[in-house]
Amino acid sequence: MDRALGWVTKLVFVFLYIPIVAVVVYSFNASASTSNWGGVSLHWYGELFSDGPLLETLRTSLIIGVLAAGLSTVIGFLSALGLTRYRVKGRMFFIGVVVLPLIIPEIVLGVALLTIFGTAGIKLSIVTVILGHMIVTLPLTTLILMGSLASLDSTLPEAAADLGCTPWQNFTRVLFPLTRSAMLAAFLLSFTTSFSNIVISTFTSGIGGTTMPLRVYSLLKTGITPEINALGSLLILFTVVIIFLVGLRQMRRIVIGAEEPDMSTTAISTQTTKGKASL
Amino acid sequence: MAAAAALALTGCAGGGDSTGGDSTSLNIYAWAGEVSDSMVKEFEEETGISVTLDTFDSNETMIAKLASGGSGYDIVQPSQYAVQLLIGQQLIQEIDHDQVDGMDNLMEKFRDPSFDPGNKYSIPWVWGTTGLLYNEACTGEEITSWKSMFDEKYKGKIYMLDNMLAAYIVGLQVNGLSATSTSEEDLEIATQTLIDQKALLAGYNSTNYYELVASGDACMAEAWGGSSVAQAVADNPDVKYVLPEEGGSLWTDSFAIAADAPNADAAYKWLNFILRPEVAAAATNNDLMATANAAAAEFITDEELLNNPAIFAPEEQLENSEFIVDPGEAMRFYQDGWTRVKAS
Repeated sequence: MDRALGWVTKLVFVFLYIPIVAVVVYSFNASASTSNWGGVSLHWYGELFSDGPLLETLRTSLIIGVLAAGLSTVIGFLSALGLTRYRVKGRMFFIGVVVLPLIIPEIVLGVALLTIFGTAGIKLSIVTVILGHMIVTLPLTTLILMGSLASLDSTLPEAAADLGCTPWQNFTRVLFPLTRSAMLAAFLLSFTTSFSNIVISTFTSGIGGTTMPLRVYSLLKTGITPEINALGSLLILFTVVIIFLVGLRQMRRIVIGAEEPDMSTTAISTQTTKGKASL
Repeated sequence: MAAAAALALTGCAGGGDSTGGDSTSLNIYAWAGEVSDSMVKEFEEETGISVTLDTFDSNETMIAKLASGGSGYDIVQPSQYAVQLLIGQQLIQEIDHDQVDGMDNLMEKFRDPSFDPGNKYSIPWVWGTTGLLYNEACTGEEITSWKSMFDEKYKGKIYMLDNMLAAYIVGLQVNGLSATSTSEEDLEIATQTLIDQKALLAGYNSTNYYELVASGDACMAEAWGGSSVAQAVADNPDVKYVLPEEGGSLWTDSFAIAADAPNADAAYKWLNFILRPEVAAAATNNDLMATANAAAAEFITDEELLNNPAIFAPEEQLENSEFIVDPGEAMRFYQDGWTRVKAS
């Protein structure tokens, strides 16, 4: 039984990673085909770095991703704070409203956004793409940060206030350090969601708003070359680097969605000493 | 002319304003890979107009954006049937041909085309064909007709394009009907033909069929002419591309001016620019597509491209070739039929 399970696990891993390995391997293909092997070459990396329009869309995607993720994390933190700390009337209703966009098919959101922007006379641009992406990234950040804030000992900010912290100090010295990793997780998750989004981008992009996925998708008509594999490989490398930078432990926390107890205790002790020192 | 030059010198640098002076920006919404970067740079240097180029993945996406209003695009690049749809929805404006030079440079086939009589709304830029790609090593004979795609001996070695209108080109033409038919009866016949053909197919494929034909995994495939297919033909002498004797079909992507273009004057500059033979040649030299500009032939650097049938289909084969146009109301016959084909 265990052996069978072991084999299934291995197969699942193979299934998950073969496409990724294939993307990287074929990025070094000398032939123009994405499926026939023609020898090893760095040709497509050269092509990639001289492809102005593609790099331009990559830049657009990065700008959109960082802004959408940044704004979503800030707004998500505020709404999570409101929803966890205060027992406001209709709290469950608000939580439901926040989560709803995650359930609604993106194509519906996209069409609705296009209609609304059109009716309201808002010009489609990078801004409309960011707004569109935030509809799906906001629920993500709110949910992650609600989890983090809910597991936070509510006496800590109260104690800080007792010791004379202003609300802003309370945030910078207590709340932020304690939820930092959750915020980072929220930011990264929204960034990747925005970066890879294609459906909402299709409907909301305007002048100068062509994102990298849109560009790649529109290249289908004339045929995709291993240049796209080269781009994919670099993005995979970039992701791996981020994972190592953020730390594998942090990534585990992203998955679990909660703070590790030892981390909180150290944060509290440093905070309290600092608090005392400033007093 | 002098007045125009004076206007250019004194023109306000507001941009995005067509009410006075010359525009300093131009927003183009085009197919990816059909307008090259170097061409845009040349236009910018020459005119001082800064160009923003966005790309779309389908005519439908582009039409939806224009229809939402206030997209802000000046130049769009619809395919032939999309030109008709855009005219119908009044999303593109009539071109003032007094302001456009060089229409005579266009190939005969693209002056006064069926989808836009008199080029009233659109100026063709690149074109291509839908035909038949085959591997002679696999078929062992020359293929000249769609009928071969219904031959038992190639069972399991045939691919059809996974695209409704493309599939119906074969379904209709093989029965001697027009690929642009709007008759319910014709479409019923074509649908039945396509359903019967399914048993012989290896599948519907519009992504890597040319690789499968080149490698010999498939004997033949319905194919969109263009750079990928041309490469397959150039790389392997056994791989051939033909427009079948029934005609095959023609597509063309044209430039048109959006109805609410904020920089219409810049848009006209663009149209004049792209009609120049040396500029039009860039579509072939840089992007391996057939330029609709006949005068551009002498500026095409690679002679082989001119002789590659997957890019420039020979004149005599083009004779029966049909422009795929908007089926209008008859679209539902296509859609109903296609659903049945896919479900069978």
